[in-house]
Amino acid sequence: MRLSRKAMALAMASCMALSMTACGGGSTDTTTAAPAADATTAAESDTTEAAGEEQAAIDGEVSVFYYTYGDTYISSVRSALDAALDAAGVQYQDYDSNNSQTTQTEQVTTAIAKGTSLLVVNLVDSGSDDAARNIIDQASAQNIPVIFFNRSVSEEAVSSYDKCVFVGTDYEMAGHMQGEMIGQYLVENYDTIDLNGDGEISYVMFKGQEGNAEAIARTQYGVEDADAVLTEAGKPALSFYDDSNSNKYLVDQDGAWSAAAANNYMQTILSQYSEANNNMVELVIANNDEMAIGAVTALQNAGYNLEDGSATVIPVFGVDATDAAKEAIAKGTMTGTIKQDADGMANTISQITVNYMTGADTFADVDSENVVGTWRVNIPYGTYTGEE
Amino acid sequence: MSDNKTAGKAQEFKALSSKDKMRKVSDLLLNNAMYIIIVLAVIYISIEEPAFRKLPSIINVISLTAAKLPIALGIAGCIVLTGTDISAGRVVGLTACISASLLTTVFKVFPEMTSAPPILVVFLMVLAVGAVVGFVNGFSVAKFKLHPFIVTLSTQLIVYGLILIYLKNGTNNGQTLSGLSDGYRALVTGTLFTIQGVAVPRYVLYAVILTVIMWIIWNKTTFGKNMFAVGSNEEAANVSGVNVSRTIIMVFMLAGVMYAITGFLDGARIASANANTGLNYECDAIAACVIGGVSFVGGIGRISGIVVGVLLLQIIFAGLNFLSVDANMLYVIKGLIILIACAIDMRKYLVRK
Repeated sequence: MRLSRKAMALAMASCMALSMTACGGGSTDTTTAAPAADATTAAESDTTEAAGEEQAAIDGEVSVFYYTYGDTYISSVRSALDAALDAAGVQYQDYDSNNSQTTQTEQVTTAIAKGTSLLVVNLVDSGSDDAARNIIDQASAQNIPVIFFNRSVSEEAVSSYDKCVFVGTDYEMAGHMQGEMIGQYLVENYDTIDLNGDGEISYVMFKGQEGNAEAIARTQYGVEDADAVLTEAGKPALSFYDDSNSNKYLVDQDGAWSAAAANNYMQTILSQYSEANNNMVELVIANNDEMAIGAVTALQNAGYNLEDGSATVIPVFGVDATDAAKEAIAKGTMTGTIKQDADGMANTISQITVNYMTGADTFADVDSENVVGTWRVNIPYGTYTGEE
Repeated sequence: MSDNKTAGKAQEFKALSSKDKMRKVSDLLLNNAMYIIIVLAVIYISIEEPAFRKLPSIINVISLTAAKLPIALGIAGCIVLTGTDISAGRVVGLTACISASLLTTVFKVFPEMTSAPPILVVFLMVLAVGAVVGFVNGFSVAKFKLHPFIVTLSTQLIVYGLILIYLKNGTNNGQTLSGLSDGYRALVTGTLFTIQGVAVPRYVLYAVILTVIMWIIWNKTTFGKNMFAVGSNEEAANVSGVNVSRTIIMVFMLAGVMYAITGFLDGARIASANANTGLNYECDAIAACVIGGVSFVGGIGRISGIVVGVLLLQIIFAGLNFLSVDANMLYVIKGLIILIACAIDMRKYLVRK
């Protein structure tokens, strides 16, 4: 019977294909080289990786959980951390939690079942202590140290376990710095920016996610601090472009801080608000660079912020200083951003990891200026408007 | 199995012509393809990474499977009716948010409340919410003759809107719900029993109970038989006196109740109930059902198949993590496995036809 022979062949082929993919997966080394790094650093990390394995400098494997691989800034932290751990001779495995706390919690359980010796966690849900507690409980039961980073975890949760620290930024700081930067820029260029000459700057604020402490602080201080600078200079405070919106922000409904969400909003705004209608939005503030870039693209489609400098530029501000944002600032299509130090964060995490695994003092060789109490390390921010 | 029987079978097999022999073997392979793949996968992963067959790892895979089972058991009924239900994840989200907002110590959604209502009351409440969404789905499918995909797409959006409104209620301001009451967490994630120092969480027991109940509903009740009848041929079922509309509505309501149970359990298990909870849960559930032989052709499916499907997905999830497969490749491999598994399964029915 021809048909069944074919069916069997297919089944066998499928099984073989399956086992082949499994083999292919298995041969991938634990310490994968940094994917996004440029050629030289990739080559470097390759060699150090080999050296690290031969010496087996430090026993045990570290599990690193990123809230999503889709986040540009987190990707730069990942590249830097991969390189730093390679250099330190630490074995590690990276996990993509894909913006789902469920996935992350299950990955942590699986890693602990596998026998990991340290958890480095970029928590998905920073709005609630319970998710962090869940992970801390699991880790403390096995006496495994936990390093949270980037997305904030409260002091209470971190302090509840003696082998737990948080490496982050003073999350309110980015909002404050962004607000000040915007305020100063507006004071210097007030009349150019006030397109309709009504004496007020109308703005739009793009919020990355509901319920995220960073997003809330940035949304609040980005405007408040700019207003403070403006009032001091004798100018009126910013006014939200849409009076009927009592939130005074537009939020990415998927909570992904995405360029797409900001782009959709901006495009819709521009179909309604324009210079012709004398109600153009004169300032764009975004919680991160992804959203800022999304807004820039929409502005460009409407004939603003063009690269050749021929059109009116609506100032757009973000946070993170991603490569795309730096490029946009260099071209003059975006105005300013706040720089998070990805390398600084990665090196600090790597140092604390080594300290835990070698039994050294937790904060040994970490810049003591940045250490807060016994529970956290703050990586400083900087403003970025083109001149490094 | 006795030797006599085996010998008899062997003789029977010898008596067959070579063509038929071939068919027998291929049928055997095809019918058990999923089990063969699981066994191969487990053997391979255990050789590469011996920790995979250790007790903590086995308990881990079992608990993961238990957590994913209820939603898959619910959605399977919709697939048996040749339909689907993409509102499942959002119903899980809504019911998780309701559970977490009531069974808490800080009443941010309802600031006027001072103490949590009894857990049973909240549980019954979320079941009712799930059933209502299921009723809307089933009613629209049965009475307006709409495709389930489009009906559940609509309810998915509606339910998401409700979640956002709900989370804005009181002083919560769209935040993740926190401060879950100890009683609620203990009921779900508390220890059922401990084997050699490894704790088995309570929700494993609940998953077992639900599986048994669903098995009885599917195999031993008129409603279950009607469901398969409607799934394989709606016209024929109608002619032979099955109340088609009622069956469809009941299947979707039952599914809604199962999502509500998933939401109730996940609210405490993950302890992070917010607008993103449950997002895309239906994808894994549908994949598990189809891997487990619940066919989109309709009228075909077994509870044991669903359990195997969910188990296989969790073995893949845990196994690939144990093998330290690059996270980027995880998505590719998972996609390939679902595709291959379904191709093998579909082939089984094509051959028969």
